[in-house]
Amino acid sequence: MKQFVSSVAIAAALALSAGAALAAATVGQPAPDFKVMDTAGKTVSLADFKGKHVVLEWVNPGCPFVVKHYGSSNMQGTQAEATGKGVVWLAVSSTAPDQGEYKKPADLAAWMKSQNAAATATLMDDNGTVGKAYGARTTPHMYIVNPSGTLVYAGAIDSIRSANPADIAKATNYVKQALAETLAGKPVTTASTQPYGCAVKYSKGG
Amino acid sequence: MPASIASTASPRNWLCQLSAVAALSLTLLWPPFAQAQFGPSTDSISAVVTTPQVRAELVAHAPEGVTPGKALWLGLKIEHQPNWHTYWKNPGDSGLPTTLTWSLPEGVIAGDISWPTPKRLPIGPLMNYGYKDTLLLPVAVTVPANFTGDSLDIELRADWLVCKDVCIPESGNFVLKLPARAATTAHSNLFAATQRAQPVVLAQATATASVSSATGAGVDSSLVLRVQGLPAQWQGKALVFYPEIPGLINNAAKVAGTWTGDTWTANVLLDPQRGEAPQQIPAVFAAEGVAAGAQVMVQVTTPWPEPMAAGAQAALPEPGTGANSYGSSTSVNTSAGGLSLGLALLFALAGGALLNLMPCVFPVLSLKVLGFATHANDRKKLLAGGLAYTAGVVASFVGLAALLLALRAGGEQLGWGFQLQSPAVVAVLAALFTLIGLNLVGVFEFGSVLPSSLAAARARNPLVDSALTGVLAVAVASPCTAPFMGASLGMAVTLPAPQALLVFATLGLGMALPYLAISAWPALARALPRPGAWMAHFKTVMAFPMFATVVWLVWVLGQQAGIDGVAALLGLLLALAFAAWALGSPTLGPKARGGFGTAAVLLLAAALFWGTPTLRTEAIAASAPGSTANAGVHGDWQPWSTERVAQAQAEGRPVFVDFTAAWCVTCQFNKRSTLLDADVVADFAARNVLLLRADWTRRDPLITAELARFGRNGVPVYLVYTPGSTQPRMLSEILTVDEVRGALASAPA
Repeated sequence: MKQFVSSVAIAAALALSAGAALAAATVGQPAPDFKVMDTAGKTVSLADFKGKHVVLEWVNPGCPFVVKHYGSSNMQGTQAEATGKGVVWLAVSSTAPDQGEYKKPADLAAWMKSQNAAATATLMDDNGTVGKAYGARTTPHMYIVNPSGTLVYAGAIDSIRSANPADIAKATNYVKQALAETLAGKPVTTASTQPYGCAVKYSKGG
Repeated sequence: MPASIASTASPRNWLCQLSAVAALSLTLLWPPFAQAQFGPSTDSISAVVTTPQVRAELVAHAPEGVTPGKALWLGLKIEHQPNWHTYWKNPGDSGLPTTLTWSLPEGVIAGDISWPTPKRLPIGPLMNYGYKDTLLLPVAVTVPANFTGDSLDIELRADWLVCKDVCIPESGNFVLKLPARAATTAHSNLFAATQRAQPVVLAQATATASVSSATGAGVDSSLVLRVQGLPAQWQGKALVFYPEIPGLINNAAKVAGTWTGDTWTANVLLDPQRGEAPQQIPAVFAAEGVAAGAQVMVQVTTPWPEPMAAGAQAALPEPGTGANSYGSSTSVNTSAGGLSLGLALLFALAGGALLNLMPCVFPVLSLKVLGFATHANDRKKLLAGGLAYTAGVVASFVGLAALLLALRAGGEQLGWGFQLQSPAVVAVLAALFTLIGLNLVGVFEFGSVLPSSLAAARARNPLVDSALTGVLAVAVASPCTAPFMGASLGMAVTLPAPQALLVFATLGLGMALPYLAISAWPALARALPRPGAWMAHFKTVMAFPMFATVVWLVWVLGQQAGIDGVAALLGLLLALAFAAWALGSPTLGPKARGGFGTAAVLLLAAALFWGTPTLRTEAIAASAPGSTANAGVHGDWQPWSTERVAQAQAEGRPVFVDFTAAWCVTCQFNKRSTLLDADVVADFAARNVLLLRADWTRRDPLITAELARFGRNGVPVYLVYTPGSTQPRMLSEILTVDEVRGALASAPA
């Protein structure tokens, strides 16, 4: 658990300060750093990617809203487009092992593979520290960190809040839009949106 | 015979993994014969959709049948399996509100869902707002006066997200046939119970919220709520605050409220990732153990801190982009937010200096300054004149601003540019510019027109003369300050009075600065071109910008007072020109002057008598906003009203609002270059954008009030409302094609 020390410290600070278990990273402020293992057992830290754009995507294969965006290949397409431009894409699972929808690292990796996901890595945030530091509430919940480590987008994947895949074509993909702007060195025009989806399945113990 | 209608309750193919859903069995019965069989039943046949998580039923309550003007309620009854829940209009941290899409006969209109008071549904560290157990989502239905049918056919498509630990999106199609002339009351108990759980609109309740900024890292901003007039029996109880706007507050955080007499105050943590900055928060307050909450509109009394980095905001007004005089808009905006008054003053100074180059001011001042060259050696006299001129300019600006502030304090709905909202002022300015132009082309000399005593006074008091030149300069500049700087000066007006006056004084100082500099340093004056024969040509050339200004003022007046007003003004100007020549031409002999002069004075009197009534009509566009010429120019644009905006938003249609005025040059430029751009027009059409134009050419208190809501007091202002967002996005004053298209692109097509 050594690699979790810093994130545990964050979580402890959060628990002390807010009482509520969720605090949230703020757009325009430095994105909280973290160190967690990916599905292959490799330690991944946000600081590893300084100088690059990083997308964080909260994922849970058991959630119909995640299935909406994977079943339609919308999420994979967004991933491929982003990573093709040198963007680092980290899928994060904050589903707790005591939740029915929990997938073990190998199972989650297999699911991502079966979906032809183009994420750089899939992170196992079993104790929810990363999720809570970012204020991740839904799957999917999307964040973009710019090369200097500032959070430049937080919110929904797109503009139509529904579980219906037919809406994807009509919706504005906020992540694509924000990435295009921030990659071009422009400020992100729509930088905060209300995420939609299933609740992130944090541990039932709170 | 049983006409069984196929129904779908959601399992979309991607859900097949959930075996429970795969086992979904649906029942939908619509046997119209049942009615015949059981006679006029009080229980209309209802449509039911059953899933493993819910039993959903389309129900009706029509105690007086389907009768125009009588109460008729429809509703979706959802019975949840234990621990399953569906969501309120603001679902909280996750989830989706239930949506109902009705198909009803022509003229029959279903209203919005009357959401019962929700409950807090914690899920781990998150919080949702919604319902468990048995829920009815009622909808009031309006029956048109010409309704004559024997029955009412109702079709409903409902979409709901039902969650426990897992979430399942479900939907159902329902049909129901209501007898028109029999009462339908089978569910009256449910409707009555739901009615008792409806948030009550309390007329006497008031609520305000101030935004308290984050005090340091890790401490989020909060809303300080203050609510008065809630039911007396709630006092001392714990209250829950349910904002109807999603994503605004930290839903899960505990709210510790305190009661002081009948006032409840509470500190509500805001969501640091919020994308909204509403002026008003529609909300429901509910007390522990009380079925019905209270519906209260919370007025936000303080400006919102920018939750994100500069330029990153989605819903906050964007500061104007800075280019020459517009710079003051940026600075005034920030100073209004409590930042730098110094910067605002600096921009005002620069903006004032630039005014000297405006077509209305330049001809007058350049001639005056060139005149310096003749007595560039009398330093003291020059400097005194320069100071007197500066005093005149500053005093005029401050006077004009003070008048505006006083009128506003007195309740008048005015903004900067108010001078040009009166046809009389426009006419007087047109006359002034005509006279200056005629003088420049040499039709008359002021010396021969002014009474000799006044001319002598001018000569004796050169300082007064200089000061009056300053006043004249401000007067001739006003048609330029309003159109070019209206928006930024409008914002200055909304500052506290001393600061506002300081900004205007600095603007005046900036305008006087070049003149003052030349009078203070004769070396500068000596560097100017020497007077010579070329000055006569220069003077004549300068007359044409003056006449161009007149053309523009006539057009503005045409917008306000119509073709009659234009004819009256042109008649007046003609008489004035004749009088100026007859009385002031240096080439006329005394006899001819007497004859022509008498005729001219009579003609002028006649023109005034005939034209004044038309020009004095106060142009207030209160009753007929659609009649304004500007609004009718292009067929796609409709006159603005808050109702139209609200209606379009309810329909999920994007809206573009153009706050404009005929006398606002920036507005006209944007209209022609950007809003009529082929790509923009195509985008508007493709996205079915409702185009609304709020025309402020004439005084319009409604538009002034709406501008104030967005912290503006002048035009142009451009707003884009996208579906799903209650707050519009404000575009910059210098509107670009890219900006408009970008704003539209962020809306769902």
